[in-house]
Amino acid sequence: MRHRRALELPLEAGAAPAPRQAPAPRARDGLHPIAGRAAATAPAELWLAVHLAASPSLPSQQDLERLGARAQRLTPRVSLDPPDSLLLEVKGSLHLFGGMEGLSREMTGECSRLGMSGTLAVAPTPLAALALARAARKLGVADSPISACGSRVVTDPAQLVGRLSPLPLAMLRWPQDTLDRLARIGVRTIGEALRLPRAGFARRFGTAQLQTLDRLVGRASDLRDRFEARARFHRRRELLYELESHAALQAVLAPLLEELGEFLRARQCGVLMLECRLRHRAVPPSRCVLRLAAPLADPAQIAALLTERLSALVLPEPVRACELRSGPLVSRVPGSGGLWQPGEQGGGAAAQAPELIERLRARLGVEAVQGLAVVEDHRPEAAWSVREPVITTAMTQNDLQNDPESPWPRDRRPLWLLPMPRQLNERDGLPRRRGALQLLGEAERVETGWWDGGEIARDYYIAADGRGARLWVFREREPPHRWFLHGVFG
Amino acid sequence: MPRDLSRLLEHPAIWRGRSAARTKTLPTGFAALDAGLPGGGWPHAGLIEILPTCFGAGELSLLLPALAAVTRRPEARWCAWVAPPLQPFAPALARHGVALERVLVVSLRPSAARQAAGRKGGFGRQVAQKSALWALEQTLRSGACDIAMGWLRSALPRQIRRLHLAAERGDTLGVLFRPPEAARDSSPAVLRVALEPANAGARVTLLKSRGGTRSAIELPFR
Repeated sequence: MRHRRALELPLEAGAAPAPRQAPAPRARDGLHPIAGRAAATAPAELWLAVHLAASPSLPSQQDLERLGARAQRLTPRVSLDPPDSLLLEVKGSLHLFGGMEGLSREMTGECSRLGMSGTLAVAPTPLAALALARAARKLGVADSPISACGSRVVTDPAQLVGRLSPLPLAMLRWPQDTLDRLARIGVRTIGEALRLPRAGFARRFGTAQLQTLDRLVGRASDLRDRFEARARFHRRRELLYELESHAALQAVLAPLLEELGEFLRARQCGVLMLECRLRHRAVPPSRCVLRLAAPLADPAQIAALLTERLSALVLPEPVRACELRSGPLVSRVPGSGGLWQPGEQGGGAAAQAPELIERLRARLGVEAVQGLAVVEDHRPEAAWSVREPVITTAMTQNDLQNDPESPWPRDRRPLWLLPMPRQLNERDGLPRRRGALQLLGEAERVETGWWDGGEIARDYYIAADGRGARLWVFREREPPHRWFLHGVFG
Repeated sequence: MPRDLSRLLEHPAIWRGRSAARTKTLPTGFAALDAGLPGGGWPHAGLIEILPTCFGAGELSLLLPALAAVTRRPEARWCAWVAPPLQPFAPALARHGVALERVLVVSLRPSAARQAAGRKGGFGRQVAQKSALWALEQTLRSGACDIAMGWLRSALPRQIRRLHLAAERGDTLGVLFRPPEAARDSSPAVLRVALEPANAGARVTLLKSRGGTRSAIELPFR
């Protein structure tokens, strides 16, 4: 086997002059691919690279995605290679579009329709196709049809290395530093780099570059993320007459929402954001944005939330057109529907929790619905916090916090806390609220907190007021020793 | 034959005068109160009213053992606090055994309703009251809560009836805290409890119940 590989060496040696400084490669540890393996068999994949011109400016990500979406007409395997390239796996599509020539004509057409000019190249590996396309752009033969320039089409893996060898290394877009160091040892083309010993190359120039070379010649597989067109829902409905009432608006929006529901169901997706725009005659459109905590796809639920939002909207003018646009789609696993309605026997309750929170938040605001949490702190103000409500379908006993080891007995803390301590009137140094307060028990001292600026020094008492309610009051330790109400025991 | 008849009369839909209706209940955590209440506890679903003589008379302590028991069940649903007058103090609730993971606080303070209240006085208060009623009804109806507590300044009988129906539909215990003056009005709630502070506890009187005791019950809280 080794012998056979050695025999095939001259195939590449002829394509590029032997490097002067680099040691002569041994077949065992040379960088070149196992050419023998790729004999005359047809390649498993054939990649078409589209390199877009950087003039007048680099194509934006948006342009790339638009082109990617159009290219999906030609093959299902499209991947983007930012900033300026697109890769299509075309092996299976060649016979559908009249061979390489027809396919490249189609692709060039798509580019020009978007006002871009692209250079095409075909090779069995994505990186090789990219390198060929970049080289063609650099040589200025970019705009000639692909058939007229055979150097940009490599369909036989056995020829791949030979065709890549004369290309400058800059086509691989390695860091300039690496290219400079390679140039210093006299390695300027891909062929020369392929000849270097693997171990030494990896040590001096990094394994990432070695992997690039492996992928370039098909020795390592090059996995590319498949481009998926970013789908969004966008529908607009012109009205026959101007509408003013919210009820009529809902009737108009209902079919749009129904369509949205079908759109989402077909894609097994949900939306996190939905915008409803109502256009008027003169003033800018009214916008109503719905943001959701969990992806939602059920049109009835979306309609209910949107109705809450719309009812709070004040229309400056009658509505002439309405428009519904979704945010990015989020994939969503549809759950099983319940057989029982909530409230019936066995009706699932936990599944209703997110809906309830959404509905309340849609009308009252996000911060109006909160969960509670304990914070480890001795100061009453800092000992609690709000948090996102915990939405879980089922809770095991382990999830529940066990009774925290608390330093104080059960009835030392009030169930209600005032948002801010409220100053109490006093007479003879004793606090009053609806008559004199009767202090029960002894003081509990709560002090310090210098580390976050919330320093306190207080003596807390439990007090009973004239009506029998128990209050939590404190007296400042610093003069003027005012009294404050801080909690109610309830 | 008499045995068959008695079994027939155990049906929850049949309610005979003073005898306790056999409905699903939640133990209150107070033996004396359980003995006095129809069915031996708070009703499992439906609306009840608690009328303390003043805020802080012990109305929350009355419910705490039930709250702790309900939220610590593995299949627990939410325990919602709708429009509480002050901030529920989390460390004290946790100390009493309430699982905070199950507590949902719906406060109307930061909302536009409250801002309106600051601006226009009476009108704003009406808006806040409306929001509180709406939120309480949604919470009761959703079926996502075991207990939903609401603090309302005033409520009309037809509004309470609506809340009661929502609570039955959602299989939720709705608790409405109302001022003592409300005791004079009739109410569709299944259970009405007046509460006044007493020595180291509270005295509870059932104003309305289906077969509960008539006499006042003394409860020790501490």
